[in-house]
Amino acid sequence: MNVLKTAILSASLAIPLPLFAQDADDAIEARHGYMKMLSIEMGKLSGMAKGEIEYDEAAAQAAANNLAALSNYDLPSLFVEGSSSDDNGDSDALPAIWQNTEDFGAKFAGFREAAAAAPAAVTGGQGNIGAALQTLGGACKDCHDDYRKPD
Amino acid sequence: MSNEPAKRVRVWDPALRICHWLLAVLVIVNWCLGKFGPNVMTLHFWLGYAILSLLVFRVIWGFIGPAPARFSTFIPGPRALMRYLKGILRREPSNWPGHNPAGAISVIAILLVLGWQVVSGLMADPDDFINVGPLASAVGSGTARQAVGWHHLGANLILIFVLLHLAAILFYRLWKHEDLVRPMITGWKWVRRR
Repeated sequence: MNVLKTAILSASLAIPLPLFAQDADDAIEARHGYMKMLSIEMGKLSGMAKGEIEYDEAAAQAAANNLAALSNYDLPSLFVEGSSSDDNGDSDALPAIWQNTEDFGAKFAGFREAAAAAPAAVTGGQGNIGAALQTLGGACKDCHDDYRKPD
Repeated sequence: MSNEPAKRVRVWDPALRICHWLLAVLVIVNWCLGKFGPNVMTLHFWLGYAILSLLVFRVIWGFIGPAPARFSTFIPGPRALMRYLKGILRREPSNWPGHNPAGAISVIAILLVLGWQVVSGLMADPDDFINVGPLASAVGSGTARQAVGWHHLGANLILIFVLLHLAAILFYRLWKHEDLVRPMITGWKWVRRR
């Protein structure tokens, strides 16, 4: 029994660090995937706003619905310790995120609010897409300005 | 220094003066719009295009304008610059007919950094789907993304250059007893031939 205890104890002491690093890598990868998904949906809306894609109410609404659904995911929980741009070369997340978690959460809530309004805002014609896109993009910018590494 | 008395001479032509003051106002306003303005940066874009036109005008004017505006008149060689800098702390007006050699370097530096700012702004894509520079798709997404960083760097450089510019004007005013602002308003400057 004692041997087993020692084994468990030593294992539990030894594991955390590599597990931690793996957590950070996974979180960064997940964040990038999340942003890519946002960008695909935003790209559809901005294409319609610019007239590069023909306006289609159902398609616009589908894109906005996806954004709203994505915005209900708890993204801030993916910003785990050890995943800032200082800790990891793949990350563009500024350390300021971890110094201002409350403000960071508020900025994400701002995006959630904009995304919740988007499905209704993009209906009723191509002329409405621009304003809806500006609200959404403004929420992107609000957070990127302070918390994304500019490079 | 020659011992001839200083004469009041018309050095700055009206087009150059208008260009200078418009540029000063637009750069300050656009800098503030960039830092503190609305998220939808339409006005920032338009003022950027206006600044681009002023820069283009100033470069053309630097070749075809009146003598004091021409690059060939005021860009100093290294020796002229060193000679001027050696005497810069003397407590007397430079009475320079146009841009003095140190000022000339600052003119070129400011034109370059504003040019840098316009170009990086045109190429920038900050990934917000609303404030995308018109050349962003032409330069590719990697470069467009980097251009955002260059644009931020440029903003800091502009702040430094503007502060240096104001410090130099104060230095000439307080230390050298020479008013450089009034000539840029009226066009007339006290000048001593050298």
